[in-house]
Amino acid sequence: MRARFWPELAMAAVLLAAPLILPDLGFSFDLLQRILDWGLIGLGFDLLFGATGLLSFGQAAFYGTGGFVAAYLLVSHAMSSVALALLVGTLAAGLFGLVVGWLAVRRIGIYFAMITLAFGEMAYFLENSPLARFTGGENGLPGVPVPQLGGLKITPGLPMYWMLALLFFVGFVLARRILHSPFGAVLRAIKENTARAGMTGHSVPAYKLAVFVIAALYAGLAGGLLGVFQSYMPPDAFALDTSGQLVVQTVIGGVGTLVGPLVGATLWLWLRDNLQQVPLVGALWKLILGLIFVVLVVVLKRGIAGEIRWIFSRRRRAATEAGVPEEAGEDAAAMPVAAPELPLRATLAVTREDAPALRAIGVSKFYGGLHAVEDVSFDVRTGSIHAVIGPNGAGKSTLFKMLKDEVSPTMGEVLLFGHRITGLGPTRTAQLGIGKSNQLNQLFLDLTVAENLRIAALARARGTFRTDLWRAADSIPAVERQVAAAMETVGLTHRAGVPVHVLPYGEKRRLEIGIALAIGPNVLLLDEPLAGMSPAERVSTRALIREIGRSRTLLIVEHDMDAIFELAERITVLYEGRLLADGTPEEIQRNQAVQDAYLGGLHEHEPA
Amino acid sequence: MPSAPLLLSQAFNGLALGTLLALVSSGLTIILGTLGVLNFAHGALFMLGAYAMYVVIAHTGSFLLGILVGAMFMLVVGVLLERILIRLFYNRPHEDQILVTFGASIVIVEAVRAVFGGNSQHVPTPGWGEGIARIGFLFYPLYRLELIGIIAALLLLLYLILYRTSIGLVVRAGIEDARMVGILGINVQRAFLLVFAIGVVAAGVSGMLYAPIVSVQPDMGGNFLVEAFVVIVIGGLGSYPGAVVGGLIAGEIISITSAFDSAYSDVMLYAVMALLLVLRPQGLFGSEGRV
Amino acid sequence: MDDGSGRTALDRRQLLQLGLGAAGGLTLAGLGAPEAFAAKPLGTWPAGTKGKSVFVGVTTPLTGAYSADGKDHELGYELAFAEINAGGKNAHAWGLKGKGVLGKHVRYGIADSELKPNVGVQAQTQFIQREKAIMITGCVSSATAVALEELAQREHVLNMVGASGANETTGKDCQRYGFRSQPSAYMACKALGPIVGKHYGRNKKVAYLVPDYNYGHSVHQAFAEFTKPYGWTEASKQVVPLSASDYSSALLNIANSDADIFVNIEFAAAAVNSTKQAEQFGVLKKMKLVVPNISSFQARDLGAKLMEGVYGTLDWWWILEDKFPLSKNFVTAFEAKNHYRPSWGAHIGYLQTYVWALAVERAGTFYPPAVIKALEASKAKPFETTLGKVWYRAEDHQMVRPVPVVLGKAPGAMKNKDDYFDLVDLVPGEDVINPPGLMGCKLGPAV
Repeated sequence: MRARFWPELAMAAVLLAAPLILPDLGFSFDLLQRILDWGLIGLGFDLLFGATGLLSFGQAAFYGTGGFVAAYLLVSHAMSSVALALLVGTLAAGLFGLVVGWLAVRRIGIYFAMITLAFGEMAYFLENSPLARFTGGENGLPGVPVPQLGGLKITPGLPMYWMLALLFFVGFVLARRILHSPFGAVLRAIKENTARAGMTGHSVPAYKLAVFVIAALYAGLAGGLLGVFQSYMPPDAFALDTSGQLVVQTVIGGVGTLVGPLVGATLWLWLRDNLQQVPLVGALWKLILGLIFVVLVVVLKRGIAGEIRWIFSRRRRAATEAGVPEEAGEDAAAMPVAAPELPLRATLAVTREDAPALRAIGVSKFYGGLHAVEDVSFDVRTGSIHAVIGPNGAGKSTLFKMLKDEVSPTMGEVLLFGHRITGLGPTRTAQLGIGKSNQLNQLFLDLTVAENLRIAALARARGTFRTDLWRAADSIPAVERQVAAAMETVGLTHRAGVPVHVLPYGEKRRLEIGIALAIGPNVLLLDEPLAGMSPAERVSTRALIREIGRSRTLLIVEHDMDAIFELAERITVLYEGRLLADGTPEEIQRNQAVQDAYLGGLHEHEPA
Repeated sequence: MPSAPLLLSQAFNGLALGTLLALVSSGLTIILGTLGVLNFAHGALFMLGAYAMYVVIAHTGSFLLGILVGAMFMLVVGVLLERILIRLFYNRPHEDQILVTFGASIVIVEAVRAVFGGNSQHVPTPGWGEGIARIGFLFYPLYRLELIGIIAALLLLLYLILYRTSIGLVVRAGIEDARMVGILGINVQRAFLLVFAIGVVAAGVSGMLYAPIVSVQPDMGGNFLVEAFVVIVIGGLGSYPGAVVGGLIAGEIISITSAFDSAYSDVMLYAVMALLLVLRPQGLFGSEGRV
Repeated sequence: MDDGSGRTALDRRQLLQLGLGAAGGLTLAGLGAPEAFAAKPLGTWPAGTKGKSVFVGVTTPLTGAYSADGKDHELGYELAFAEINAGGKNAHAWGLKGKGVLGKHVRYGIADSELKPNVGVQAQTQFIQREKAIMITGCVSSATAVALEELAQREHVLNMVGASGANETTGKDCQRYGFRSQPSAYMACKALGPIVGKHYGRNKKVAYLVPDYNYGHSVHQAFAEFTKPYGWTEASKQVVPLSASDYSSALLNIANSDADIFVNIEFAAAAVNSTKQAEQFGVLKKMKLVVPNISSFQARDLGAKLMEGVYGTLDWWWILEDKFPLSKNFVTAFEAKNHYRPSWGAHIGYLQTYVWALAVERAGTFYPPAVIKALEASKAKPFETTLGKVWYRAEDHQMVRPVPVVLGKAPGAMKNKDDYFDLVDLVPGEDVINPPGLMGCKLGPAV
């Protein structure tokens, strides 16, 4: 892939050219080193914040840890090799990241920001007071030696710049690999839609923890280098301001671009240094920089690098979208007559041949005094198309969520091929072969159609968690075949490269089903798959459902009674949270209770 | 081991400190709970309130006038800030809101430094607050003692505004579903403006009441901002009762820890907050997922 | 050069090892060609001295909690540079010749250190790399001082350190390239201890408010040590976190202790803050306040009422104009320019700039090892300054200078708006300086 490496090449060119061009613009080598150091911690931070959506206000904790561990080892002469000390410092930061991350990643949004902030402040306190004997307290550790390469000292100035540039470049290449690996694809999925990423079978906490540790490792290395390139490890590495400045620079530079932190640091540090030297500015530099910052945040929503990328990608996107018919015509929405077989399927864990695919045993869900579902038991026969119907508020969606264990039942349990799945959570149940499409679309909106399906297929191919950081996300042949098959099944092949947020509603709805399908389920739960579709789309989607149902067990909630009675082999009726009836379509049609309670009231309002 | 009277004194001090922290945090939590904006400029606005107090007292010598004029000034600041800046950010990610308020705080702090310099300014204790009260074995500054009552009254007033008026109703409905309230023909934008301004006034008034206690200096708000964060995390983000209870808890943690070793008072606060986030992440009164 | 054998000062033999080196410079200086000798380039020398001017990098906290002290500090530097460059009466009174230093105009840059060591190092490194700064100076924090000394040593650029009161600055973190004028915590407390010990009498109980950083701890330790001979004991020690702004819980402990003396070690805004709150808690009524290191604007910001009867030390106070003509010149010139009497932060900037200029002219060259030599040799030939005769100790580069011990005046006794203190004693530096080696100073090499 030729085009793929241009960012690396461009970065290498920039790093090579910088010491030739930038010194004339008021950048000293020291400033360039600092920019690279901020850029390096920023690479990890951007994977955490930009790619995964986790805003940490505590990166200083790892920056400082890496820095002080490395500096202490060198200053105390416990180690003489700078490289080794940097390595140990980096690992120490990673270890600390593992501990903090373990506590933090289960929290989201502002809570996550706050817990990382709290740990950052605690780390600063530890450095300043109880550990002052090792860290030098508020004085930090002076006298950190410079590294040697084959007996040659890497002195401050140009040689040190080359060392940092090289390390930054390696870090950049690795970060890009990570971002474009299957691992990185899952991170982006978590940012786009955490719940759906978990539902497709990826262990969200494990990925968050892993990326948190990666960010801590980057921070640790950058911290260690800070002490090395200025021969002094400053305590303010631990300060809240350090974490804050990192966030500021990343946002100015562009979140999710990897180069954003570098660009932001370049602008911020350069302005800071040079503004002060402008006559009459002096102490006002911070006021001016503050104003510039506010204006940048208001005007540039994506940051500098982000805006540039957006302009380019918009042009490219316009080109792609011009190539496909706008909204596929009503006829074109027709599905393929025969869906291709999915190459990846969940392994069936059948213990007893006669066990039903799904069995609900007395499941109930109470929300305080509200009994959403109460004591419902029924079986879903293997290989059948089974429908659950009932008026609004009957508890259908809640029941569905319990079948996949998205919601834990208050009482009762659910068996999948005879195995208890209650308590396993949606990620495990996805891995065990339960796919689910939701009543409200749960898509990864900023990813393309193919990427959406790939997230699901990767879950099947890779299990709940794997750290395959180096391979490309689209380099697993079985996954790509799965994506292609799922895409063809839901008739979106012509939209493969289109970002999902531009799709018309009907196509989004089909993609919702496609994602559930791409995890290769044995049991597929479809929650109102026809909701909001045009009549023509309904026809083709019904055909699609029938097609999908050929090779797997299918459970469907739907208001469209025509569809239900056409598709379902068996129907379960819920009414006010309770099981009203369970039987073949004919039995249900004849059932007096159902007619009284349900069909009489509702059926005539439903569109034909 | 500290003596029982000292422990009791510290427990009382925790209460006094707690009410102050509760007041400081209330504005932050109101804005967060209603608008979903984590206002990093809260500390700077606290400081601005203290300076407003300083200016008015320097010219008139009246504490009461300081509060009234200061509150009006903060109201204007709040309205301007919301109209010019915050309004643009309601539909943008949390991070952008954090950043713009963070930027605003730098601008406010440095503007004050440019005007008044970096020196600590002196705001005298009002005449009715001078001296030391004696309650049994406890000696306590009269002003701080009176503040407990004043703050309790202010917190009650805020409670009434937020929970017992039609403004409050709109505001709380706005939290649940801004679009729905909008459809019902209620002007959510105006309600948001009002809430933001109230939050700013609350921040400013805390600064005014604190001004006779601490040194009024451009950077004075930073520590209070971080402490207010801790308080609202303990109490539950966006919860008004949470800010009050969280403030009291934080005050007690600081004071009781100080009875043993004051060096650990801050870090104990963070440790409790971290522990709470692990055990009960939504805080005492919050519900996770809302913000 | 330092082989760790305990030899500290540069001696003649070492200079000879530099080839012609600075010694040559010294000789040639008399011949009117100060820079024309053949030492190897070192740091920013000779690149930074080739033009008609030289550059000095100044860092000071212009934002953050010490910004008031930092601004004062900056004004002191600016005045000194202006006087030196003008080459007028004041500069000549110090003993400088002509305009500038060695005839070269002194340019300078002032950068905000934001009270962060890392930022201070960043700013000074820019000055060294971009402007070829021949000397760096300024800070209002011992942490920044230590960091900048390290930088100076590595870059071979002279550093006139301060403001910094920590023992480490000329103790375990001392450097060959760093020279400090401010008294260390040890010196300040050794000067103050006997005076308060005698004044308040024997067997007093002391409550300490200690900011939780090295400097706070070393002042506490030194004060306890030098009041011990008077039977003073510790009744309470409240170590408070760096970020404290409400001291109520610590002050409650102090108020509840049965101490007679309250020693407040907090600095700058925190000192004002904590003292104000101490008064409200009745601590100042019950106990006598002692401030081992009075901040530049502590008296002005707290008001004379609270500072009345307070014993303390500071680097310098404008009333020394009565004792030293150079102080008189300084106060007059500074007040004319800035409309207030300078505080000691400004004095440190002013004094250090002049002492550096004098040392360079004595050395006859900007070549750093030669200037270092001139400073290290100042015991034999002290500098006449705003503090009278002062010299640097060759072993640790601490300036041996008198320490002013002051007592807060009653508001009614003030003769002008800055007249907060009476001078109790000007304790000779020789009497209070620590024995060399006590603080673990090992100067690095000059080359």
